[in-house]
This record gives sequence, structure tokens and C-alpha cells, in this order.
Amino acid sequence: MICSSLRSAFLLNLIIAASLSTAFTGTAHGADYAIVGGTVHTQTNDQPLQQAVILVSDGRISAVGADLAVPAGYEIVAAAGKVVTPGLIDSYSQLTISEIGGEASTVDSQVVAYASGPAFDVRYALNPEATALAVNRRDGVTRAVVAPRPGNDPLAGWGVTIRLSDVEPLVSTDVALFGALGANAAMFTGGSRSALIQRLRRGLQQARGYSTNRYQPGPGDYSHQDLAALQRFLKADVPLVLEAHRAVEIREAVKLAEDFDLQLVVLGGTEAWKESAQLAAAGVPVVVNVLANLPTSFERLGARLDNAALLHEAGVQVLFTGGETQNVRWLRQAAGNAVAYGMPWSAALRAATASPGSVWSFPEGTGTLAKGAPADLVIWNGDPLELSNWPERLMIDGEWQSLESRQTRLFERYQDLSDDNLYYQ
Amino acid sequence: MLWKLFPLIVSALAAVAGDVHARTPYESTYSPRHSEDVLLRGATVLTGTGERLESADVRLAVGRIAEVGVSLADNGARVVDASGLWLTPGIIDVHSHLGAYPSPSVPSTSDGNEMTSPNSARVWVEHSVWPQDPQFPLALAGGVTTLQILPGSANLFGGRGVTLKNVPSRTVQGMKFPGAKPSLKMACGENPKRVYGAKNQTPATRMGNIAGFREAWGKARHALDERTQAAQTPPEDDKPKKAPAPDLGLDTLIGVLEGEILIHNHCYRADEMAWMIDVGKEYGFQISAFHHAVESYKIADLLAEEGICSAMWADWWGFKLESFDGISENVALVDKAGACAIVHSDSAMGIQRLNQEAAKAMAAAQRQGLSFDEAHAITWITLNAAKALGLDKRIGSIEVGKAADVVLWNGNPFSVYSRVEQVYIDGYRYFDLNDPGRRPVTDFELRQTVNGGGQ
Repeated sequence: MICSSLRSAFLLNLIIAASLSTAFTGTAHGADYAIVGGTVHTQTNDQPLQQAVILVSDGRISAVGADLAVPAGYEIVAAAGKVVTPGLIDSYSQLTISEIGGEASTVDSQVVAYASGPAFDVRYALNPEATALAVNRRDGVTRAVVAPRPGNDPLAGWGVTIRLSDVEPLVSTDVALFGALGANAAMFTGGSRSALIQRLRRGLQQARGYSTNRYQPGPGDYSHQDLAALQRFLKADVPLVLEAHRAVEIREAVKLAEDFDLQLVVLGGTEAWKESAQLAAAGVPVVVNVLANLPTSFERLGARLDNAALLHEAGVQVLFTGGETQNVRWLRQAAGNAVAYGMPWSAALRAATASPGSVWSFPEGTGTLAKGAPADLVIWNGDPLELSNWPERLMIDGEWQSLESRQTRLFERYQDLSDDNLYYQ
Repeated sequence: MLWKLFPLIVSALAAVAGDVHARTPYESTYSPRHSEDVLLRGATVLTGTGERLESADVRLAVGRIAEVGVSLADNGARVVDASGLWLTPGIIDVHSHLGAYPSPSVPSTSDGNEMTSPNSARVWVEHSVWPQDPQFPLALAGGVTTLQILPGSANLFGGRGVTLKNVPSRTVQGMKFPGAKPSLKMACGENPKRVYGAKNQTPATRMGNIAGFREAWGKARHALDERTQAAQTPPEDDKPKKAPAPDLGLDTLIGVLEGEILIHNHCYRADEMAWMIDVGKEYGFQISAFHHAVESYKIADLLAEEGICSAMWADWWGFKLESFDGISENVALVDKAGACAIVHSDSAMGIQRLNQEAAKAMAAAQRQGLSFDEAHAITWITLNAAKALGLDKRIGSIEVGKAADVVLWNGNPFSVYSRVEQVYIDGYRYFDLNDPGRRPVTDFELRQTVNGGGQ
């Protein structure tokens, strides 16, 4: 029964998905819902609403408040004693472009030779059936940034945003150009960090006045297609995301962004706390992997667990990542630890909801439960940052999502080893 | 002096004579620091034996747990008001590479895998450990008091592992856990066959892996039989007995067969674990623990029957194909089947938060309706880990007579917000959140890092 209805829902969704263009537009939704009685963190202010009502209509939040009447025709979802938050958003992953890191044939996030560089775009290889979508959705993640990884150029290419839905995960293309500073990326430019910065500056300079006829690439110059991509980036209103860890490199990234009038996002930012005043002044958000508190390289000697707290305190917009594609769900552990080391709770939740919702290309209001926002929400059995709690229900764009995954199927299969039906489930 | 100069000969002779101690040269020089007696008063105590005591007192005296109870007399001990705090046994990580893969991670510090032969049983990872690795004090700030350092998994036989006390020391000998058995790291699956297959050497397949194990164990069994036989033959008057030719790798394997060295076997897949159990039966050794055992839940009954521990991550999966079937309920299902379940880190980040890893494993179980509470879940990172190291009579629980290795937390250790306040090893307070003078700083960190990495 359940199976067949799920299957028909799936087919219906396929039909809906087929009718859409590349990006999911957030239409074609079923029922209207009233989620009643929960403690609601709208992310539009720091204090939660108690025993509040959230109305969901046509895939969006249509109203939120403590004393709302439930209109006729709304399906009531009891949430008394529960905590309701926007769905969690991971700000750096390879979801849908990297299935099993150790198996090259399942990885499309990186090119090591041909087509590496600013012209590379991950958009054509997104696998909506990636196993990790359901696994991480089960732990409250509803959306993510999907980024290429540097292959043999400091600039890795273009990323996309997705929703963790089994149907049509793609939300937007051309969401940012990704790249990296630091020793690893400097290997692509002869081994010097300085040469790397020079390459980026030269490339951006050439891209400004690029035209197909006049450009004659010399040795070490970007190709025609790369320069065209860089020019497209300069004209687009999207961020340049540069991985940078050492304080001086973060400073160089900020300068580069100023000189070329770019919107910068620092990825990693191990020593960003040292540059927090400059980052705040320049309005540069930082994607922090809270748990990465080790001095694992000579550019990360200033690693510390309170990086996120210090950045927040200085007025820098903080975004979180769980740090690993298979486990972007760790972002709530990251947020919890940020709180343990001094970040206010509401700010930590914001770094995994409203902040990424506004920095990256998502529909207006994503990451909040404000009126008009996409209805991405999670009903938790308690504080969502506590690892002992879990999502009980989860909605993306107004549709309840399955919280089953391949892992829960394995659990069900093996929970009773004496079962004669072990191999037939 | 002679044993220092000729450890191989002595150890080979010792094998014949059955002398346990002479087999392990490079002995520990650790001795407990002088510590004042302490009465930790009024904490919520998770004993590590499955019990939870409310508002209990624990008295530490002369490096041991002297008393556990309610309203204990101080007996001259310094009294610590622990009301509102939680007390657990010291956290034990059975799978770490600290010191062998230290931070910073650069080629000159990468000392964990002797990737030159699929059988490197001859190497001892303690000779790679850098005691100034800043990751040690970070692990201490996470409550880790004992950790097993293992060589990497590139080889079928990675070499000997070593159990350390997480104490600051200029030498590794000063960290070695006195009397702890050494271990032998073995690795199944993808890693050995990938590393050597890529060099067009054996093993290039899983059958090559097993053949490599069997050949080495066959030789070890044969050599041990020869040695035993030689020992039983009466000496001829004019000829002194000839010691066997020195062979470091063989010494380690023979040490396993004689029960003096414990097997810790990196093995992801259930079917491969089952083969390794059979290899053990063929040559006469017992596996202490399967590590990274992401599929233990598929054979939890077999593991219970064989008395083999599983050292598992809470939720790692899918980074390579042999980890693809990793599930968050693994730890709970293994435990539920009556097998020994351990949460391990294999990570310099994870080792700082093994309490949180245990919390995730506990929550995954509860979410599926399996009832595991904190009192039980703490055993995954304490007493069960001690069992796999053969140290459960000495550490791993808060019981009278055991070493005073305890951690005081500022809240429920299963809460993400809780932090370690104090760490005691053999009764000495090695870490205190509120006392900067009680937070070890390695040489490397001086004027380079934020002391304690913000821990």
C-alpha cells in the first residue's frame, strides 16, 4: 500500500519535474498545512515564538504567529512540545556530484586536466539519485551549495545550489565561482602563493577587456573559454568563493575583491578571526567548518574552536558547513560546538539557515520562516543543535519529505538477524 | 645492558623461555606523577559499568579510585564541589594515529604507513610517534586519557601498535602504558590491494589479501613450532643452543600466537571479517577488535559468539565503497546482539569529541526505538575500549581499585554544549578548563598556535 502510493507520488513528481526547466521554480504543490503549537525559530528575530502557528500554502510560508487562526481546508499538524526551524543549509558540499569519494567513476566534482579552471561548471552532472541526499535530509538538511573542487587551477569553476529532494534537486546554476588560495592550490602555479595571486589578478585583468578577436593567450595564460567564463563572472552578480586559511591570504583575498569590485566569500577561513574587523568592514561572509580546529598545516596554525564566535562578535556574517559531502548533516554538530565555544545559539542556527539562505542563490526568504519564504522546515523533537535529538518531519517547498534512506533500509533489514526473510526485504 | 644491545636475540630466546617481559624492549618509563588525594563531591557519575549514580562522591587516593559512594568522608583529600557536574571514566580511543600523523600534516611528519611491503609487521608505530604533536593536548581537552596508536592500513600487516597514556612527555617511552600489551595492526579490503595492486605487486585482489595473511601466519606458526621443538630438545654438552635468526616481523607474529600481542584488524565488510575469523582459527589466534567495522551489524551474532569487539564510527560512511553500507545504528545493533561495541575516532578531530560521537550513536538507536541511555552508551568509549586493549581490569570504569583516570564535565557529556572541566590520569590533574596552568602546551605550539586550539 505504502509502497505503491509512494511510487505513484514519485511518478507524478517525475512528470512535474519533466515539465520544469533547469531550475526548480517552486510551484505545483499539494495541500495547505497548519503546523500548530511548536516553539518556532523563524530566524526573522532572535527570540522564538512559543506555541505558534505556521501556515503553509502553495509551497510557501503564508503566515506565522502566536495567535493565528487556522483557515478552513488546512491540514493541521500538531507540533506541541516540538521545535520548528527552517531547514538546514550547508554552504559547501559536493552533494550530487560526488557519490563515493574513493571511486573515481562516481565523482564529477573535479577535473584534473582538460577543462579545469574558471570555465568548468558542475551543472551537467548532478545526480538526483545520489544516496547522500536522503541520508542528510534525514538529519534536517534541506538545501546545499554544490561546488567544484580545484583540479589543476586555483579557480575550480562554477557551482550550483540544490534542495535535498529526490526530485529535481537543482535550484540555481551560476551561483558562484569557486577557487582556492594556499599551498595546495599554489601547486598549480609553480608552488608559490604569490604566483597564485598574480595568476588570479592577471586573469581578472585580462577578462575585463576580453574579446575573442583581440586575445592571444601566451604560455600560462587562461584559455579563451576560461577568459570568457571569467568575463561572464565579472558581469554576474554572484560571489567569488575563495578557500583561504592563513590570515595574510585572507587579507590578499579581500584586497583582490576590492580591486576588482567583487563580492567575496571566504571558505574555510581558519585564521579569519585574526582579520575579523577587515572582513566585517568589507562585508565578506566566511564559511566556517567549526570542527576543523587543528593546526593541520602551516597556514592553519591559528586554528581555534571559537573562530565562529569571534567572527560573529566582530560582525562578520558566518556560514557553516558540515565539512564532508557524505555528512553535511554534521553542520548541526558544528553549530552546537560553535555555541559551546561562545557563539549565541540563535546566531549559530542562523549560520546554518538564514545566512546561507541570503548569501547564496536561493529563493527570497530561504532559511527563514518569514511570510513568503519557501516552506522548508523541520519539526524536531527538541533542540536541533543537540545531537541527541532528531527531525520528526521535514518539508521542502511545502512538501513533506521521506525521512527514509538507504541506511534505514539496511537497518530494517538487519535488525533481526534470525529473520528467515533477511534476504527478501 | 645486554638486552639493550641485542634485543632481538634476547627476545627470540625469551620466546623459547616464555618470558613475557623480555619480549618487549623499549619499556615504558612512565610513572604516575605525585598527586594529592581528591574527593569529587556530588557529581552525576556514569560509572562505565552501565550504572548512573546521582549526587555521588568519588575519592581518588594515591592514583587510584579509593571510594565511590554518598556523603564520603574526605580523609584528608582536597574536596572538589562537583555538584551539577558529571563524572565519567577517562575516555579511551582504541584507534588513533596521533603522533604518527601529527599536525601539521606535511610530508616530513607523515610517519604512519610503511608502504614498502604488504607485510611490515617488523615496524613499531611507537618509533614514529612525535610526542610534541599538538593533537595530544587537544585530545586531552576532550577527556581522552588512554589511546592506542596504530600504524596505517596500507599493508596487510601494518606493524605494531602501542597504547599510550595521554600525558605530556619528552619521550614516547614516557607515555607508554606500563604493562599494556602491544598490538598488531592488520588491514583487510581495499587499501592493501589498492596500494600494492597499483605497483603491480601482490596483493592486487581480496584473494591476494587473504593469501598474504595465510602465508605469513603459516610461516609464523611453523617458526613457533620449530622454536618450541628446539626448546624441548635436550642440549648437547659441547654445543650451546643456537638462537633462531633474528626476524622482527616474525617475532611480532609469534608474539600474537603466544597471546602476548593483540590483533587489531582494520576490516569494513562483514564477509571479510568472517574470513579473518577463519584465518584466525586456521593459525590459532584471536582477534581483539575489528576496526572501522562499518558492517559489524550484519554479523553481530557471529561477533558476539567469537568474543570480538567492533570499533566503529558513529556515522562515517560512503567515502569509499567498502564503507558504503555504514549506518548510524551500527553501534547499537552490535551492542544489542551482546557483542562488544566501541566508538573509535581514527581522527584527530573526532578524538576530541568522542562523547559527541557516542551521543550520535545513542540518538540513532533511540530514534529507531532501541533503548540505550547515557549510562550504557558511555561504555562504548570507556570500558569496552579498555577490553579491546586488554586493560579492562585496570582502567575504563569508576570502580574501587582501578586507576584514577576520570573526567569531570561541566554538564551531561552527551550534550553538544558540555565541555571537559578536569581530566585526571592516575590521580593527577593533567587538564583544568579553569586553570591555564593545567593545560599542557607542546613545543611546537609555542608562539605559533592558539594554545589549546581554542579547546
